[in-house]
Amino acid sequence: MKPWQIVFRKEFFEVFRDSRTLFNIIISPLLITPLILAVIGGMARRQVQDAQKAVVPVAAVGLDKAPRVAALFENATDDNLKVTEMTRADAEQAIAQRKVRAAFVVPENADKLLDEMTPVPVTLLLDQGSQSSQEAAERLKLVLNQKGQQLAVVRLSMRGLSPEVATPFTTTEKGIQGGASRGTLMLATFLPYIMALSAIMGGIYLANDSVAGEKERGTLETLLVTPASRRDLVLGKFLAVAAIALVSGSLSLIGLLWPFAIKLPAFSWMSESGLSLRPAAVAAMFLVQLPLAVLGAGLLLSISTFARNQKEAQSYLGPVILCASVAALLSMMIKAEAPLVWAFVPITNAALVLKQALEGVSNPAFVAAACAASVVYAAAAVAFATHLFQREAILLKA
Amino acid sequence: MIEVDSLSKVFTDKKRGEVRAVDGVSFTATPGEIFGLLGPNGAGKTTLIRMLATILEPTAGTARIQGHDIRTEPEKVRASIGYLTGSAGLYERLTAREMLEYFGALYGLPPAETKRRIDSLISELEMGEFANGRCDKLSTGQRQRVSIARSLLHQPPVLFFDEPTSGLDVVAARTVVRFIKRCRDEGRTVVFSTHIMSEVEALCDRIAVVYQGKIAAIGTLAELRARTGATTFETVFLRLIGQDDEEEGEKGRL
Repeated sequence: MKPWQIVFRKEFFEVFRDSRTLFNIIISPLLITPLILAVIGGMARRQVQDAQKAVVPVAAVGLDKAPRVAALFENATDDNLKVTEMTRADAEQAIAQRKVRAAFVVPENADKLLDEMTPVPVTLLLDQGSQSSQEAAERLKLVLNQKGQQLAVVRLSMRGLSPEVATPFTTTEKGIQGGASRGTLMLATFLPYIMALSAIMGGIYLANDSVAGEKERGTLETLLVTPASRRDLVLGKFLAVAAIALVSGSLSLIGLLWPFAIKLPAFSWMSESGLSLRPAAVAAMFLVQLPLAVLGAGLLLSISTFARNQKEAQSYLGPVILCASVAALLSMMIKAEAPLVWAFVPITNAALVLKQALEGVSNPAFVAAACAASVVYAAAAVAFATHLFQREAILLKA
Repeated sequence: MIEVDSLSKVFTDKKRGEVRAVDGVSFTATPGEIFGLLGPNGAGKTTLIRMLATILEPTAGTARIQGHDIRTEPEKVRASIGYLTGSAGLYERLTAREMLEYFGALYGLPPAETKRRIDSLISELEMGEFANGRCDKLSTGQRQRVSIARSLLHQPPVLFFDEPTSGLDVVAARTVVRFIKRCRDEGRTVVFSTHIMSEVEALCDRIAVVYQGKIAAIGTLAELRARTGATTFETVFLRLIGQDDEEEGEKGRL
């Protein structure tokens, strides 16, 4: 066995004897992450259901002068609205004081306009800085549209015309055969983010421990006096960190997919619309982790080598984690059909390749550019870590 | 056999500028000899040993260990030396035996030979009780015995000890001292660095007094006494470095 293989084997297996590693790399991605996802998903779903059922207090202005319009809102509770008539000034004050969430203002000549079959201009009052006020205004808009459609049907019937006259087109949605499902689209939104972070972050503990930790414990010097070259030592340590990052990323992936595979009820909110993964998408999930893990291992090992001890390494890690998080987060905001320039942004590029694979977007130029850029960045990170490991002033500072 | 020829090391410090930690040091240490490096903290002893162990690269000069040049054959030099310091740590999550197996592999020993030597060292150093226990559960004395076993595993002809008893209690320190004597008796070349005078008096065949990166004097204890005309070793040392402004007295440490 070559020296780098000996170092790799020791580093890789030793780290699994640490309870923090077991928790962060095995238990957390396989159990805690799915649990958090299920709880967040369940809460979000319940919030949507509650919002749909909840009766929203709104104000109406000018209904006293428009009895025909007022009649349309007699049974407003059926539309989950509680309508209170008031003046415009009172309505605005009530919205500001959160007594009602929004208001609609009908003009004095509303009934006349209805008779003339002329559109009635209704003004919606809302607090644009309040989410609940915006939601109430949306609800009012929906209800007014529904009432308008009902009136249109009556008007068409009076003229002996079918209501279908007002609907020249009807549309239905149908997913294409072999296309991605809505569930997959949701997966494509957050999975690249989670996986990009896991692949980069998975090696943090081992990287910190394997150089900064060795400096702190006084084992690095004993390692440096063995016949193994420094290149062998850094290569073995680097490969171990990259391998742990790959394990971490893969387990994160498995942790996100197993609840769907066994159709866990807590995940029905996401999988009910169907979750189909192409073989190419599954392959991409595992493959994009490789450049990410290598880049992460190079960066983390450089930091660990540069630091005097583990505490110092952790403080250097803060900005790196922030940058990695932002880069991973960008993939959630950028569409799969991203311009080629994004293929050169580290971490984001790998996450976007994964997003493309999940959504079935084929862009060989982007994939090729992203792979090439990732290889260059990863090689630079490894070269930098190796360079630092050769510098005695850095390696022996304590 | 160690032959040191005009070895120097210059560090660049942001605050102090150029620091000559070791300045033109030359000496020879022969098999079956304990060669002491005595000097106060910061004298350059650790830097000198680190250069000889090829951890640091010399700025000037060179040295040969068992005929191998530290500049051109560092890997052969490292294969020929054992290295033990007072601050040497252990891999906490490995057992003592696993740690020795790891170093055996790094020294290129075949697994069967490694096992044989580990069994032998466990027996000699009375490590049987804790050899299969994790290193993070070991006492200071037990840890030092594991470190001794690690430094001897590949049976090196040359051994470097840099403040090996630092932080140890009397019992653990005695184990180390006994072990150093045994190395000499086996015909190995031993370089022993310390600032504790009693250890130098008890162990070293020849002594190099190191001060401000240079060797102030080399000789046996008797030769150094004769040269300075002092009786206590402390006064011998202080006179050699030109700091003898007190009456002779026993202080023990520099």
